[in-house]
Amino acid sequence: MNEMTVIAPVRKTVRVKAPIAHAFEVFTSGLTRWWPHDHGVGKQPIQKVLMEPRLGGRWLEISADGTETPVATITLWEPPHRLVMVWQINAQWKPDPAMKSEVDVRFTADGPDATEVELVHHRFETMGADAGASLRGDVDRGWPGLVERFAREAERDVG
Amino acid sequence: MAYENALAVLADPTRRKVFERLRAGPRPVNLLAAGLPVSRPAVSQHLKILKDAGLVEERSEGVRRIYSLRREGLMELREWLDSFWGDALEAFRLEAEKSHEASRSR
Repeated sequence: MNEMTVIAPVRKTVRVKAPIAHAFEVFTSGLTRWWPHDHGVGKQPIQKVLMEPRLGGRWLEISADGTETPVATITLWEPPHRLVMVWQINAQWKPDPAMKSEVDVRFTADGPDATEVELVHHRFETMGADAGASLRGDVDRGWPGLVERFAREAERDVG
Repeated sequence: MAYENALAVLADPTRRKVFERLRAGPRPVNLLAAGLPVSRPAVSQHLKILKDAGLVEERSEGVRRIYSLRREGLMELREWLDSFWGDALEAFRLEAEKSHEASRSR
C-alpha cells in the first residue's frame, strides 16, 4: 500500500450569494433540486437524486423504474461547515462499495450573505489498490492514472 | 470538442494499451508493437488515430518516427473530468441563489 502515489486531487470552488446555512442546506437536503441528471452513474433515466442529510447518510440515485443506486456515503457531517463523502464509484463509473475516493466539501461564510464552497475530490489512488498490481502500476505515476479513468468513462459513453 | 474525440479514441483497448506504453517515454513503432497481440501496421494505424485526436505527437529521428504523448491533449481531458464537478457546482450555485432570493422576497 505504501508505494501508492497520490493522484492529484480535483479541486473546485464556487462563491454562492446566499448565507452559509442556506448553502449547506441546498447542497445536502436540496441535492435533488440541483444535481444535473446527466451526471448519473446508475440506471437511466434518473428520476431523482437525493442525499440523506446525516452522518452515515447516503447519496442515492433513483431511476425512473424505481431502482436505487448508492453513489456515496457521508463520513463526516459538520453542518453548515463541512461534509465528507466516500465516493463509491469505480473506474467504470459504476457503483462499487469497495471504492473509496473521497469528496470533501467545505463551506466558509463570506459575510452574512455569501458563502465560499470548496469541493475537493481526492484519494483516487485508493481505487487502484483493489484492482491489483496492474492497476496499481497505472496509478503509480500520479496524473496518468486519471487517463485510465477517462478511458473507462469513454467506454461507458461508447458502449 | 477535443476531449470528446479523445474519449472516443481511447475507448479502444488496444489503442489504450499503445497510449499507455507511451507514458514511459517516447518510443518508435516497433518498440510499441512488441508484445502486443496486433501487427505493427495495426499499431501504426492506432498511433495515427491517437495523433489525429491530439493525444500523441510524432517526430522524425533519422529514418525512424518517434511517438510521444501530447501533454496539451491530456490537459483537455483532465479539464473535462474536472468539469464534472464544475458543472455540478454551477448548478448548485444557481439553485442556492435562486431559492435564497425567493425566501428573501417573501
